[in-house]
Amino acid sequence: MSFDLSFAIRIIPQVLEGLGNTILVTVLASFGAALLGFTWEILRRSAKPMRYLMRFVIDFIRSTPVLVQLYFMFFVLPYYGILLPAMFVGIFGLSFYYSGYLAEVFKAGIDAIPRGQYEAAQSLGLSSFDTIVFVITPQMLRNIAAPMGSYFVSILKATPYLAVIAVPEMLGSAFDVASETYRYAEPMLVAGILFLILALTVAQLVQRLEKRLMLSTRR
Amino acid sequence: MSSLAILAGIFEGFRITALVTALGLLYAIPFALLFGIFQHFSKGPLRALVTSVIEFWRSSPVIVLLYAFYYSLPAFGIYLSAIAVGSMVLGLNIGGYGSQSVRAALQALDRGQSEAGLALGLSRFNVLRFIELPQAITAMIPTFINQAIQLIKGTALVSLITLTDMTFRAKEIAQLEYNPVGVYSGLLLAYFIVCYPVTIFGRRVEFAFGKSRQKINEF
Repeated sequence: MSFDLSFAIRIIPQVLEGLGNTILVTVLASFGAALLGFTWEILRRSAKPMRYLMRFVIDFIRSTPVLVQLYFMFFVLPYYGILLPAMFVGIFGLSFYYSGYLAEVFKAGIDAIPRGQYEAAQSLGLSSFDTIVFVITPQMLRNIAAPMGSYFVSILKATPYLAVIAVPEMLGSAFDVASETYRYAEPMLVAGILFLILALTVAQLVQRLEKRLMLSTRR
Repeated sequence: MSSLAILAGIFEGFRITALVTALGLLYAIPFALLFGIFQHFSKGPLRALVTSVIEFWRSSPVIVLLYAFYYSLPAFGIYLSAIAVGSMVLGLNIGGYGSQSVRAALQALDRGQSEAGLALGLSRFNVLRFIELPQAITAMIPTFINQAIQLIKGTALVSLITLTDMTFRAKEIAQLEYNPVGVYSGLLLAYFIVCYPVTIFGRRVEFAFGKSRQKINEF
């Protein structure tokens, strides 16, 4: 079977049907990963038994493939009678996997804040919660905008993993086309090109955002 | 089936996991070095060409690349085994990331290093070979180990193109008997057993290099 260019062009709209879900999953999983990752990192900075536990959890998340974590959640939860939509499992799975990496990013961001900031907050009588929310977090976010942005792009690039647990995103729609027409070469190639364009566009946007952030902080 | 029997069954796929990782490294290391160096030294249209090759491998989702190459190459008359396609795609994807650490490491070197080499009468190539590369490679080894872990985890994807790696074995066992909890916990554990020692090794190396660099600064 040789490559059919006109067929490839004809199926572009069908493959693009999954675009909405791809973007939705990316945005929600990015939020989820940032939230979870920040929680891990704050817990890792607490008292001893918790610190060692979190260190292990973060290492475990980072030492296992995202595909396997997704399989685990997708097949194990129903065994215990927890029936969740595949979309939800997928978003949670990506959030969980990337939270391990974002925890490390947050760690670097918090480490970069001078000790004087904590001492100043303490001497002003701020509670530890207020210190985290109003003193540490704003400065940390500025420090880590670049690596965090690149992990959000990574999350976008991980969304096609959800096709294996039957979430209808772009790779999923490409597979739908393939199984209807018995032609695999064109849909896969179209999906590849569309994902590449999408990832490059988002990476550009993230870069532009970073530059702006850098400008606003320079005095 | 006991948990131990399940784990033993999963490790029957270790041969393929290890083989794809090893072959992948054979693609990743030369690609990272060559394209990292090319990107650092080239200018104008040549640089744009080098960058676009790197971005192609780095910015596409690896799972989509894998499917696109696995299904599309035969349509162009190129017939490769699943293992050849799998290790090439995974390897070049990691190589794309690696090339960026090579370039960053070369850029981070003090200008004085290459200037001193040129002033001593070394050719530009010899400056690269004897002065810049040894320092750049030392600086990038911790990053490189992290990328090797990404490659090991990435090999879980070859189960999708019919190779019997650890993930594929787990899916086979899961079909033989209904025990998703045991099988997929076992699979998570199997990858953890393989990857965690590498993580620890990487941390040691990073620590050792950090120390030696401090010594150099003191000197």
